[in-house]
Amino acid sequence: MRIPCPFCGSRDSREFVHRGDAGPARPADGADAEAMFDYVYQRANPAGLIREHWYHAQGCRNWIVVERDTRSHAVSGGAWPGPAR
Amino acid sequence: MAEPLILHPVDRPGIATVMARKGVAPGTLNAALGLSLPDGPGAAFAGSRTAIATGPGTWLVLDDHAGADFAGRLAETLAGIAAVSDQSGSYLVHALSGPAARALLQRGLAIDLHPDAFGPGSAAISQIAHIGAVLWQVDDAPTYRIAVWRSYAESFRHWVEVTAVSLDEADQGG
Repeated sequence: MRIPCPFCGSRDSREFVHRGDAGPARPADGADAEAMFDYVYQRANPAGLIREHWYHAQGCRNWIVVERDTRSHAVSGGAWPGPAR
Repeated sequence: MAEPLILHPVDRPGIATVMARKGVAPGTLNAALGLSLPDGPGAAFAGSRTAIATGPGTWLVLDDHAGADFAGRLAETLAGIAAVSDQSGSYLVHALSGPAARALLQRGLAIDLHPDAFGPGSAAISQIAHIGAVLWQVDDAPTYRIAVWRSYAESFRHWVEVTAVSLDEADQGG
């Protein structure tokens, strides 16, 4: 599988560490335990497109967001997380 | 006939990582560093000095003739516009050159080194034979420079030696 790194270009997935769903957002300070439980543990596990965090450990050592189809492993995009840099 | 393959360690270059402070454009550092920093993957050369882009706003800067205080002096020069960390003790830099260098590296590196895709001034951070490496091409000989973590240098040299032997045997149809 090839991962499109926004800095390095297309690289073998062996250079990366996979973290998982990039969707969940950390609840605001003071959120109750249930909201934190959902944030930390609950995942949708979709059959289809998912946006995920990958870490380019053996490359530029940056976190990136990769869009992948869980049915085919087809990767359709790689971008920086958060605001444009 | 030219030697097909020459490998030697670069003699104690000064090495430091340079990270531009938030909001500081790469061009701002050029005058202080004495070279034009690459804005994307690549290497820039000026005299004894080399800069390799290792990520957005991050470079590995090397100087072949720097003293032990290289990073300290760089930090003073770049005070307020970049963070500098000494890496002289972390990396060991090898120069690998000769007509067989490309074929040898391609046996352990998943980066396309064909001259159409990778030439002098090209650089990549990847792994060679599973060893994390920063690699850049210096000239058309071709000469490559490869920085590996110091503790992996012996493993890297061992891999070069055994791979060179197997290349030689392949050339002779053995």
